[in-house]
Amino acid sequence: MTDALFLVLSALAVWSGWRVFRVDSMVRASFQLLVSFIAVGLIAVLLAAPYIGIATVFMMAVEMMVMALFMVMFMMNPAGLNPMSMVHQHRFAAITGGTAFAGLVAAVLLSDLPANPVPPEAEAVRDLGRELLGPSMLIFETAGVTLLATMIGAVVLSARSGRYGESDAGSVPPGLTPGGAPAGRRPAQGGGHHDHHWGH
Amino acid sequence: MIAATLYLLLALPPLVWAAAVFDRIGTGRGALLAGPLRNGAALLLRPVAPTEAPDRLNRLLAPGWYLALALVGLSVVPLAPGLVASDLSTGLVLWGACEALTVVVVFLHGWSPNAPFPLLGAYRYVAIALPAMLLSMFVLIGAALPAQSLSVGAVVEAQREVWNLVRQPLGLPLFMALGLALTLRGPFDYAGGAELAGGTSAEESGPALAAWRLARAAMLVAFSAMAATAFLGGYLGPVLPGPLWLLLKTLAVMAATVAAGRFFARMPPARMLTLLWVVLLPLSFANLALVGIEVLP
Repeated sequence: MTDALFLVLSALAVWSGWRVFRVDSMVRASFQLLVSFIAVGLIAVLLAAPYIGIATVFMMAVEMMVMALFMVMFMMNPAGLNPMSMVHQHRFAAITGGTAFAGLVAAVLLSDLPANPVPPEAEAVRDLGRELLGPSMLIFETAGVTLLATMIGAVVLSARSGRYGESDAGSVPPGLTPGGAPAGRRPAQGGGHHDHHWGH
Repeated sequence: MIAATLYLLLALPPLVWAAAVFDRIGTGRGALLAGPLRNGAALLLRPVAPTEAPDRLNRLLAPGWYLALALVGLSVVPLAPGLVASDLSTGLVLWGACEALTVVVVFLHGWSPNAPFPLLGAYRYVAIALPAMLLSMFVLIGAALPAQSLSVGAVVEAQREVWNLVRQPLGLPLFMALGLALTLRGPFDYAGGAELAGGTSAEESGPALAAWRLARAAMLVAFSAMAATAFLGGYLGPVLPGPLWLLLKTLAVMAATVAAGRFFARMPPARMLTLLWVVLLPLSFANLALVGIEVLP
């Protein structure tokens, strides 16, 4: 039963991972990746690691949702339903993908896995946590707070509504020819708006 | 485990009906008790309206996912000591995963018809629901701290002396913000609303709409059972048997959630976002800090 479930979930993870690169929309690609991660999370549950498995599902659901939202936002594909290719840099991607796959397979085949089962009373998660974070908790926390401050800073800097007025006030799109008139639509002259200084 | 699943499946249809009745009280939308059933039956007979180039699979499945997430979320709620459908050591995390996936499902429901109003509703909802979900995570960690366990059963047992509602009074009101977001109602109903002609459901009709409304009511039941368990002591109570206490508390939270959805006005999304990040999220941190100080030995 567990073996059958493992095989089905692995097949689902691989298939949806492959579909990420074959679908034609960023929203679809994000959620195919989410399906792949959910399958991996459920495999972790089968491996008697329920916290890591369910937390994977939880984190990935949030992350893929945010990713879909931001990709659609930055790629100017308003709905995410317009078809577009999900692959680029073919040769570079093929080489790095192949290298990573070969490295991981080599790691699985060549590493000497321990054969003695962990005694049930061993606190595996606690030991792992101490091993990973014991001496470096301060570094970890500092990095976390720094990253958070960076994210907030990036949002504040890129937001349109700022402390000193709207960030795009007075900005002019580049011209179509060098030194030419700015591209795009021009607002009606004297329409009560403050940006009628085009072409200066 | 099987017994608990059966009880839940038996209790769910009447509770879903009760949720629909609560939603009708005072709205003047026809018969109170038979109205939801009549409405549902009428919807089942109507045709499904097509849209241009939709994502058919997700459009078809979104109501089903929503209902499934409500059921999975409900399954971690213990009905009596030891009587729980999914007896996990990390039940609260599973509930959190259901919350997160609900945001994804509501987004897909609005995205898949490929129509403007549902899409606007979907994006708007995600922007508001993600921080609301973050809020609930801190609140639930607060509920888990006195139990020193992520198991929902342990959270209930830790409330034998005093309910979490008394120990951490901010918890339930903050958690109800999430409930309003999960069940798409009142001040957190950014997925729908009259100004978007129904939002994510604007293009839905017939059985698909009936299924979506059913799932939304089931999510209200699941959320209320979870809130009653995490903050109101779940099945704990004198005289009456445990499952009956849980039922009464669930109904009370359901009524309170519906009432909160009616009482509070909805703000523009930008202001709601500010409220969430600047007021409610720091409040949840304060709640967590208070609980931490309380449980310090």
